[in-house]
Amino acid sequence: MTSLPRFRNLPVTVRVPLITAALMILMGVMASQSVLSTLGRVQDARLSETARLHVEGLSVALGPSVLRQDVWEVYDILDRARAGSEGQRLLLTLVADERGHVLAATDPRRVPVGADATDFERDAVAPQAVRMTGDPVLRVAAPLLYQGRTIGGIVTELDVTDLLAERRRVALWLLVGNALATTVLAFGGWLAVARILRPVGALVQAMDASGGAPRPIPETEIPHGDPGLAQLIATYNHMTTAVGERAEAERRLADRERFVSLGRLSSSLAHEVNNPLGGLLNAADTIHTYADRPDVVRQSAELMQRGLGHLRDVTRAILDQNRLNRAGQPLRPEDFDDLRLLFEPEALSHSQTLDWQVHAGATALAWQPAAPVRQVALNLLLNAGAAAGLNGRVGLTVANGGDGLSITVTNTGAAMTDADLARLLASGPLPPGGGVGLRLVHDIVAGLGGTVHHDRMGEQTVIRVDLPVHGGNHA
Amino acid sequence: MLTRREAMLTGVAACAAPMVRAQTAAPFRFALTPVFLDNDAAVISSLRAALMAAMGQDIELVQRRTYQEISGALLDGSVDAAWTCGYPFLQHRADLSLIGVPVWRGEPLYQSYLIAAADDPATSLGNLRGGAHAFSDPDSNSGYLVTASDLARMGETPDRFFSRAIFTYGHRNVVRAVAGGLTRSGSVDGYVWEVLNSVEPDLTARTRVISRSEMLGFPPFVARRDRMEEAGVAACAAALQGLDQTSQGQAVLRLLYLDSVQAAGPSLFDGIALRMAVLGGG
Repeated sequence: MTSLPRFRNLPVTVRVPLITAALMILMGVMASQSVLSTLGRVQDARLSETARLHVEGLSVALGPSVLRQDVWEVYDILDRARAGSEGQRLLLTLVADERGHVLAATDPRRVPVGADATDFERDAVAPQAVRMTGDPVLRVAAPLLYQGRTIGGIVTELDVTDLLAERRRVALWLLVGNALATTVLAFGGWLAVARILRPVGALVQAMDASGGAPRPIPETEIPHGDPGLAQLIATYNHMTTAVGERAEAERRLADRERFVSLGRLSSSLAHEVNNPLGGLLNAADTIHTYADRPDVVRQSAELMQRGLGHLRDVTRAILDQNRLNRAGQPLRPEDFDDLRLLFEPEALSHSQTLDWQVHAGATALAWQPAAPVRQVALNLLLNAGAAAGLNGRVGLTVANGGDGLSITVTNTGAAMTDADLARLLASGPLPPGGGVGLRLVHDIVAGLGGTVHHDRMGEQTVIRVDLPVHGGNHA
Repeated sequence: MLTRREAMLTGVAACAAPMVRAQTAAPFRFALTPVFLDNDAAVISSLRAALMAAMGQDIELVQRRTYQEISGALLDGSVDAAWTCGYPFLQHRADLSLIGVPVWRGEPLYQSYLIAAADDPATSLGNLRGGAHAFSDPDSNSGYLVTASDLARMGETPDRFFSRAIFTYGHRNVVRAVAGGLTRSGSVDGYVWEVLNSVEPDLTARTRVISRSEMLGFPPFVARRDRMEEAGVAACAAALQGLDQTSQGQAVLRLLYLDSVQAAGPSLFDGIALRMAVLGGG
């Protein structure tokens, strides 16, 4: 059965009128059947009564003539009865004597005097048992009783063409009438149900609109006459608002996370800049004091050169990290150097050991876009650094896999919580609390067509990101 | 001022008045048979009205089914006069007298018709052997005697010649029996068939006249011979013979498609007597 599921797939605004129409048709058929059945009973009763009266009347009139075997009298009575019969319903009446020989019939040419009446009694029924069978001619046979004894028999053929026509006419009118009524009522039902279900349709449309982003239903479209639906739509509107608020909150959280990351980076960088600055100021002071000593000046200048070179590297890394519109730039080994430059101060500040291994060549890296991969690696590193804690160990391994790039970030320390794993690995709604960095990793990797794997090996958390070649942007 | 004639008529009327009153108690009984249009109530009531007017007394029209019943009633005095047939008149010629004979198409004569269904191929009586036949009345001249005597001349009797012979006791019934197919043929009063041909052409159209007899004396009005002198009978004879003189009488005659009623002698029925002789000899 495939039609039932197909029917279930129809909109409710079509299904309900269809069911209404089906019920109307069923009711119409039942009503028609009832009317036709009643009509049939009435016709049968009328027919039976006609036949009975005809036979009884003839019995009374014919008795003496049949006893005398008076052919003319019998014919005369039959002929007069036929002439006076109702609407020529009596097609033929024949009267037979005790021996079954025809005494006379209304149509002597068809039933000659003296013919065998048994030929005509075949298929005949008693007057009280006569029923419409669909045959236009019905045959009724009855014994001819006179003074309490049977002196012969009467066979009558009844023409029921008009009754059949009447039944056909009634059936046709019922059919047409019911079809019209059903159509009108089904259409009315469709209109009514469509009107009743309009808010539901609006709800469905609102939910499907804008590619799955639910939009609230305007106040004017809420059917306040229907408390149930009104409540439903109010709940829906509330829900859409909540979803919107949640998305806004997520966006704000992401921004905040970014600011936090920036703050942490800034403090690390300040530290990085501040350290050489002391040395540089000392060198400048030494040059100023020992300007006449070339060896000291040279040594101090070299010191200043190294310090300034370090500052230049740090500045460039920050510029690269925050440069706008880096989409389209391919990933380079230098990007990982920048990352190390950015992350190392953070790790050192917690006395963490950094295990930095970039095995992938420039060619393999170039298949990947720089900005998202840097973002993913930085987020994972920051997360790992936070999890590793004081004196922990954080590792980064970039390897050129068979058909893509594999970035593995490891860290010691506490295992990831279920909430963190849900953010990193699943696409479902964000669990309450916590940041959105891990979800950002998940979304970026998913966007690149890659996968994120998590493993806990002993005391170490291992997160591996596999990025396919085709997922990259080969510039 | 009364004329002499009017004064005389008034005197006669005054003298007759007690007699009329006396006869009012016992109406004149006049018998009819289905010899003519038996189902025409208008004819019967018009005839009664005309006779009452002409005879100046109440008339009781008595209808009987058969000529035999009429003859019996006449003879036993149950009825005073009757319109019967030439055959029963001759059967009881010694006891009955004519009080008038209708004139049809200018003559007091008519014919017997042998009829069959319109599509029957028979052309003579001989072709009808083995079929069912409808007679009118065993005492009817046109409805029995003519055919029976013709068969007697052929050395046959109706029972032998026909598969079945039925009596319908009415000339119109004979036509109905043949038209309806109950019998193949019938013996019918030619006058009745012709009148029916005018008033019920659909009925006679389903029949065909195979042969016509010679002209025979028209069914007469008769009374008992020994009562001919009675005033009622005489008045009846006068009324019948004077039908064409009054407007009521003329209306009746028009309804009956007759010209008049005239006096006639028994010799008018010699033809019937001849056929009776043939039948008696057969």
